[in-house]
Amino acid sequence: MPIAFAVNETFPATGAAPTAVARLVGVAKTYGTGDAAVAALAGATLDIHAGEVTLIEGPSGSGKTTLISILGLLLTPTAGEVWLEGKNVAGLGERALPGLRARNFGFVFQGFNLFPALSALENVAIAIRMKTPGARDADAQARRLLDHVGLASRAHHLPADLSGGQKQRVAIARALGGDPPILIGDEPTAALDTRTALSVMELLRDLATTARRAVVVVTHDPRLERFADRVVRVEDGRIDAITTARPSAPASPRSPQ
Amino acid sequence: MWTLARKLLLHDRARFAVAIAGVSVSVMLVLVQVGLFYGFMDTASAIIDASSADLWVGKRGNDSFEFATPFDERAFYKIASVPGVAHTDRVLMNFAQCKLPDGGDLGVQVVGVETTPGQPRLLAPWNVIDGDPARLAEPGAISVDASELAKLKFDRVGHVTEISGVRAEVVVATRGIRSFTTSPIVFTDLRTARSFLPQLGDEPVTYVLVRVAPGAELAAVKARIDALPHLAAYTTAEMSQRTRTYWSQRTGVGAGFFTTAVLGVIVGFVVVGQILYSGTLQYLREYGTLKAMGAKNSAVIRVILSQAMISAVLGFAVGAPLAILARAGMKGANLNVALFPALYAVTAAITVAMCAFAAVLSIVKVLRLDPASVFKG
Repeated sequence: MPIAFAVNETFPATGAAPTAVARLVGVAKTYGTGDAAVAALAGATLDIHAGEVTLIEGPSGSGKTTLISILGLLLTPTAGEVWLEGKNVAGLGERALPGLRARNFGFVFQGFNLFPALSALENVAIAIRMKTPGARDADAQARRLLDHVGLASRAHHLPADLSGGQKQRVAIARALGGDPPILIGDEPTAALDTRTALSVMELLRDLATTARRAVVVVTHDPRLERFADRVVRVEDGRIDAITTARPSAPASPRSPQ
Repeated sequence: MWTLARKLLLHDRARFAVAIAGVSVSVMLVLVQVGLFYGFMDTASAIIDASSADLWVGKRGNDSFEFATPFDERAFYKIASVPGVAHTDRVLMNFAQCKLPDGGDLGVQVVGVETTPGQPRLLAPWNVIDGDPARLAEPGAISVDASELAKLKFDRVGHVTEISGVRAEVVVATRGIRSFTTSPIVFTDLRTARSFLPQLGDEPVTYVLVRVAPGAELAAVKARIDALPHLAAYTTAEMSQRTRTYWSQRTGVGAGFFTTAVLGVIVGFVVVGQILYSGTLQYLREYGTLKAMGAKNSAVIRVILSQAMISAVLGFAVGAPLAILARAGMKGANLNVALFPALYAVTAAITVAMCAFAAVLSIVKVLRLDPASVFKG
């Protein structure tokens, strides 16, 4: 399942761990121009490692969403570099980005964003088909992924017939479609009760540990820190601190600020 | 993509039903309106189309089949003597007053044709459902369409009346011989017609029908007749088209029917466009999620276009039978809705194009959808 990236040889040397799958270097994002310009992110540097769960914390408006949007190639940075697949992709045009996103990222959202008319299986399969046009075994892949998140028995249920935790598991299975090495979660547990939230985080933790995926989760919930290898604190558009949350987590560079 | 498109459409069944209803009404309106137009045009040129003539010769400057100016019979002999002409028939046509049983009068369109018994002619009443066509050669014998009997208040074949004060007896009833002018068509022998139309002078002729001799070139014969003074020759197809064009353009009937048909297309366009757009808005976050995970715009657009095509196909599948039902209902009111394969094919193509264009707004919305928007609340 894990996808190997030879990033160590091609990324600029910042002391990154050998399993870094993505790197942000001095990334900045400014919205608007002139007097109306707002700096959402300023000079952020961050490595994303395979097999790691990275939590991104910070108050509302601190730049967390901008950070993961740039990491997920959904936003183009105003300055800085985004390293992926061994090259700086920050300046790539819109034509090249869908392919890169399809190969590298899966997203999980607070609101699940599942098609209500489609069963769990169909929600996962359609994402696989859209990411990899012509995929003949999309249904079989979707079944395997649902089985992996413990929802094989609910494959033919509509989202309306699933609990919040089950919906999020379907969303995670969908995010795993196409076997991306990086999962990005935008407050994936915010809409869930504590027990369900913890079980979803356990699943994400397991995906990082057993499948060597890089899991990046934006959250306000400090209780999730126990599942993380690193906690990245964002304040006023800057990476304020990167702390190692688990003893086994690899070392990581701090943002040069 | 088809599965996603179909399920998204069917998820809100009420909205889906409105979409199909909109397309169906649009399809039915187009088919019925254009069908009515062609039905009227078929009626307008029915007599011409029913003839077995190669050429129709009339007075130069005639625009209308019905309101043609008669000419002297001597021209008939000139036409008959043109090289390449094998056979000629005279036709006299004009309007006269028919006496009704209740004492009133009704304008009828008298069509006088040659009726020599036992000899096939270039024009004769067709679709005979009652009576003996051979009797049309008798003085005063007329043929009336069964659908006009009620208007004329005639109860049967054998009814005796007066046309322009001359005795007339219904000896033949036909089916489907109707006039665009709404005046009943009365087929009769040429001599009887002349007695019904004394105001046209001695031995008038409105048209001379020509059959070209085997081996003779039609265009050459036509040119020779055209060279005769005051006369113009048209092939049967040209004559039919001239008549259709006259009624379509001079009366504005074509514009009227086609305007209604266009309105039908607009109604369908608006309904489908609104349904697709609201559906796209409803699933914008889901589409955004797919785009964020690498789905190309083309993949999402295929879903929306598939929805449009499903609406088009089902709308046509419901609308076309509705049009056939409407045709059956209108037949009772003596309205001819001409539905034919080419009309179905063109309407189907219009329906597909209409639904595809209706999807444009939704497609633009998806094209402009920023995948980063899925992170914004």
